[in-house]
Amino acid sequence: MRDWEAVVEQHLSGLALEPAERSEVITELAQHLAETCEQCRKQGMTEEEAARRALSQVEDWHKLSRLIQIARKKENSMTNRVKQFWLPSLLTLFLSMGLLMLIQLFGPSPLKVAMKNGWSLIAPTAVIYLPWLFSLPVIGAMGAYLSNRAGGSKRAMLSSIIFPVVPYAVFFFLALPAIAIFNERLGHNFMFIALFVGLLAWVVAPAAALLTGGVLVQHFVSRRLELGRITGN
Amino acid sequence: MIGAGIKRGTAELAVLSVLQDGPLHGYELARRIEQQTKGALRFTLAALYPMLYRMEQRGWIRGSWETGGNGRRRRCYRLTTAGRTKLSPLRKEWSELYSALQRLAKVSHA
Repeated sequence: MRDWEAVVEQHLSGLALEPAERSEVITELAQHLAETCEQCRKQGMTEEEAARRALSQVEDWHKLSRLIQIARKKENSMTNRVKQFWLPSLLTLFLSMGLLMLIQLFGPSPLKVAMKNGWSLIAPTAVIYLPWLFSLPVIGAMGAYLSNRAGGSKRAMLSSIIFPVVPYAVFFFLALPAIAIFNERLGHNFMFIALFVGLLAWVVAPAAALLTGGVLVQHFVSRRLELGRITGN
Repeated sequence: MIGAGIKRGTAELAVLSVLQDGPLHGYELARRIEQQTKGALRFTLAALYPMLYRMEQRGWIRGSWETGGNGRRRRCYRLTTAGRTKLSPLRKEWSELYSALQRLAKVSHA
């Protein structure tokens, strides 16, 4: 006979409730599955068919885990938002900014990508901190893991992963054009190609690096849930 | 397509109505609803428990662990006073909606 508690426990591994409450939920859902299975067996199904029928009641365990968490939490939805989005977002932002500062202070010289005029570099120039870019996937993965553990939706997870590039995006999309409009000198010398290069170096590349780590974690978590559903473990 | 709000309202009415007859555990509750609606309303595990927990948080139902004759511990849900109070206006709302839709359907057929 199948250990339904172990099955539910495995599928709801991300369910963030107090241990006693979590255990109650797992027992209750396991009993529901066991009774569905028993009923199917009475109707003449094989053990395997009955188990498959019982498990087919849940299409997305991650979603179920999130819904149960939202429904059971005594705190309001604001607290859930803090755990699922703000906490991972601020952590990824703090880590990426802190690391960038350390690399700027103590790390190797940045890579300067620019056109050359003889020996000197001319604008547009992109300053790229390679060690920083290479560390961003790890930071993105941490953000995705935290958001996922708190039962965050895919949208909350992705938003928290790319949160560290938001200040740069705001700078390039809002602050810089605003300065160019109000500052006559900058306005006259404004180079769109420089804006494009800056966006690539400080928004697109870091976002891609952060997403690489985050999406890998998301993929790994989905695979684990999917595998668990197929094997019924 | 039936909206989430209407679906949720139907489901809550179904749960409250069935629990009015006495306490039930989750599996039996789902079965009872399916039987009484002749299969028109079916609850999967994924739909049932988040709703039961939400209704419990709102104070409409109360769950408690009980040991059955076969020694199996089950969480039984019963209607609270707040749930009984909720049931009456909910029934009225659905009855009005049903009548309105019926009127609309008759007009459409005419």
